Amino acid sequence: MIRSNIKRWFHLSLRRRDRWEREVEDEIKLHLALRAEQLMAKGASADDAYEEAVRRFGPLDPSRTRLLNAARHREKKMERTEYLADIRADLAFAVRTMLRQKAWTAVTMITLALGIGATTAVFSVVSSLILNPLPYPNSNRVVFVDREPVQGNNTGMSISISTDAPTARAWRENARSFEALEGFKWWSTTMATSGDPSSVDAALVLPSFLTFAAKQPLIGRMFTDADIETGGRVVLLGEEFWRTRFAADPSVLGKAITLKDSMYTIIGVLPASLRYPSFAANVVNVWLPLNIKNDNEGMSFIGRLRPGIARHVAATELDSIFARSSGFAKANQKIPFVARIASPGDTVAFRDSLLMLSVAVGFVLLVACANVAHLLLARSATRQRELAVRAALGAGRGRLFRQLLTESLLLSLAGSALGLMVGWLGLRALIALRPPSLRELASAHLDGTTLVTAIALAILSGITFGVLGALQSARSSTHEELKAGAANASASRMQRRGRALLVVSEMALSAALVVIATMLIRSVVKLQNADLGFDPRGLYSVELRMPENRYATPAARAALVSEVLSRAQRLPGVRALTAANAAPGSRNFAVGRLEIEGEPPPASTATSFIDVNGVLPSYFAATGMHMIEGTTFTDTTSAAGQVVINAAFARKHWPNASALGRRLRILRQKQQPWSTVVGVVSDASTSGAGMESAAPFIYSPLGSGDDGVSVLLRVDGGANHVTPLRDIVKQIDPKLPAPIGSAEETVARAIAGPRFVMLLLAVFTGLALVLAAVGMYGVMTYTVTQKTREIGIRVALGAPSARIARSVLISGASLAVVGSAVGLAFAAWGTKLIENQLYGIERSDVVSFAAAVVVLVGASLIACVIPTRRALSVDPITAIRAD
Amino acid sequence: MTSKLPVLKGTLDLLVLRALTWSPMHGFEIVSWLERAADGSLDIEDSALYQAVYRLEEKGLLQADWGVTENNRRARYYKLTAAGRAHLRAETKNWVQYADTVTTILTSPTNSPSSAQ
Repeated sequence: MIRSNIKRWFHLSLRRRDRWEREVEDEIKLHLALRAEQLMAKGASADDAYEEAVRRFGPLDPSRTRLLNAARHREKKMERTEYLADIRADLAFAVRTMLRQKAWTAVTMITLALGIGATTAVFSVVSSLILNPLPYPNSNRVVFVDREPVQGNNTGMSISISTDAPTARAWRENARSFEALEGFKWWSTTMATSGDPSSVDAALVLPSFLTFAAKQPLIGRMFTDADIETGGRVVLLGEEFWRTRFAADPSVLGKAITLKDSMYTIIGVLPASLRYPSFAANVVNVWLPLNIKNDNEGMSFIGRLRPGIARHVAATELDSIFARSSGFAKANQKIPFVARIASPGDTVAFRDSLLMLSVAVGFVLLVACANVAHLLLARSATRQRELAVRAALGAGRGRLFRQLLTESLLLSLAGSALGLMVGWLGLRALIALRPPSLRELASAHLDGTTLVTAIALAILSGITFGVLGALQSARSSTHEELKAGAANASASRMQRRGRALLVVSEMALSAALVVIATMLIRSVVKLQNADLGFDPRGLYSVELRMPENRYATPAARAALVSEVLSRAQRLPGVRALTAANAAPGSRNFAVGRLEIEGEPPPASTATSFIDVNGVLPSYFAATGMHMIEGTTFTDTTSAAGQVVINAAFARKHWPNASALGRRLRILRQKQQPWSTVVGVVSDASTSGAGMESAAPFIYSPLGSGDDGVSVLLRVDGGANHVTPLRDIVKQIDPKLPAPIGSAEETVARAIAGPRFVMLLLAVFTGLALVLAAVGMYGVMTYTVTQKTREIGIRVALGAPSARIARSVLISGASLAVVGSAVGLAFAAWGTKLIENQLYGIERSDVVSFAAAVVVLVGASLIACVIPTRRALSVDPITAIRAD
Repeated sequence: MTSKLPVLKGTLDLLVLRALTWSPMHGFEIVSWLERAADGSLDIEDSALYQAVYRLEEKGLLQADWGVTENNRRARYYKLTAAGRAHLRAETKNWVQYADTVTTILTSPTNSPSSAQ
């Protein structure tokens, strides 16, 4: 078929060239003949006349060549013009067709736009966050390097320690796996200004960091190793800080600022595009040199692997370098740590959620494509007649193909343009709605590859179903269609099956999405209503960060805490007041070996992380936790050795007996005395982001003179208590950094992430459902149209309208049921992917699965309403006559 | 016989268009018409005329169709398109203006620069 076509085309063009070449020859021959005749009429001999004719014509061979060239040129130009005119005609025709079927065109274009737009927006987020999260050159080889414990991490969180300077130096000097290894460190400090001390965020980096990030100072210069040798009291300002605090004044160079009691000379300004290598970090205000020669320094690491080096190879090399080193850290290490190398994308918050959203959006795109496919198929069915007529009137297959191609391309391109707009708006919306923990999302931009892929997919489905489908049906029925009313049964049964398959797959994809979305919605609702075990309402914390130099003695530290407590007591509306090492929601743990009296002592290597918080006796009442057994501390001296444990701890170690009076101790370097359990308190999500509440937890009395203390107070009403609290701290010690937090906000922040994901998934599910319903509507309308005659006959034979309505609804609902069944099976497998994002419900949550069936069948019944009404309004006489 | 005039660049096109104002012609008819109209005072090769014709056809100023001569010979007949007619009108006007101007300058009595002052 194709071969013969090619041959024909080839022939055609050959014939064409023959034609105009022969025409030129003919024209020359005729001219010479006529001229000769003219001359002979005047009396010349035949030979002379011909000679003279040629002479007047010009030298024969060059002239002929010239004319042939001119003619070729002319033919090409005219062919081109004709071709353009054809395209213009095709376009005009396509536009007219689209305008004639406004509703159809609108639905198709919107479907395309939503599919393309949603996909592009979400994949843009995913690619900017996961695939390319930190803006350093060769970002695919950029890795975070830190050190994690080999064993004993029972906290459920990823724990790492910073790398000490001697190890850092050994790594930087010896590691061959890396092109670059950059140490960095964050320092929240204060800057003395004319008025109040203001807190500033400083990033400490090595001089080589700028080379690593491929950036240049805006003005001034980067610090050098020489600066560090001579004391390192130099600073570069962050661009934002320079603009807001120094009015972008270029003369700041050479001036000095005071950071936490020390003077630093400003030597330059670094651009805002230079990112600190951590997602959690705020905007960097000032950049300081990190002194890697100072053995007491600790730092984090980011590096760029050499091409082709696997992460585990690099990690092994770092470990062996550490093993050969003989620094203080190695001599003193209690827990064996190994180097861990992670891609920045792995550490992005919500990584799993983002991947899941990508899958969901991929589903939406598939549903959209399926929809476009059967919208096109449905239309090609209605155009069979038109195509048949045009074919009969002599439109070649090639011509029809080009016409249909033009139409589907126009449609796809218009849809894609709209999709680009939707994608851009969608991305803006995602950025605007982002939770605080996705701060880096702000820099996301539309991903070109995704856009091109989505558009290519849209065009491909347009061509496949719009052109080939239409031609197929036109071929199968050129005769049948013209023989009006002939039942072209086999072709249309195939098509009907194909269409039913499309609807079933749409329904299946939507059902899977509904299951997963319902699970996430239920999780978030449960999270929101979760019993935190403490009451966050009106609970504020003041974290007192006491600088070592000014609060050198325990007495000084204890005095500050009690002063803050007594002043806070006098604030209006304060109902309860207490203090702890860590406020609920932040984390505190001890590293050591936990020994329980009556249980075999732990092996000397079994060091682990033990959740423990030092609290005042009033802590439990003030935070709203319930005592289950016993009391809070009655004696807070270390001699008394009292501890309170949570219910989970009691369950774990004394499941069948009271925990009161039992003894435990945490073994560190030196022998510790036993502590006695005096109370058991309810589980509370006090060990992290408000999520985990059933982990074993120990509360010990807050040591008098501890250096990390948060004052907690519970207040009435919704008034702003941050400012009065800040004032209190300022009155006592104007230079003390003391961040103030609200437990309510902490909890809200913890839920913000899952909520964001849930919201997005709900939107996509809604989108998929609407698209699937549109698909269902299309198929049912088509079915009803096809059956108009049958329905008419049945009405004529006296079938009650209820029965007709039922038959339409049942055929729709059965598609939905089959689709949901497939979708649920798919979802049952797919829930594995979201298991770790569920809270309070099981993977096999019946409610979610049932909801999917109800929603799907409901949506499909709604989609069937209009087709049913159309079936009911069939007038038997017209219907029977129509065909 | 007077000496023959070389045809100025571009004017041949104009002459061909002019030839076709009244009715379609084939190549030799155009040549004959030009020879009659110029009374033998134009110096062109016949082949140059065909080149001009093809050029005009390419520009869409002429349209060609095969027809039959009085003596039953197949010939390619050329006729003016609407664009060709418009082109002829505009170019004729330009040409006449140009020729007038040049003629005026060439035939005006010469004034010496000093006597003009």
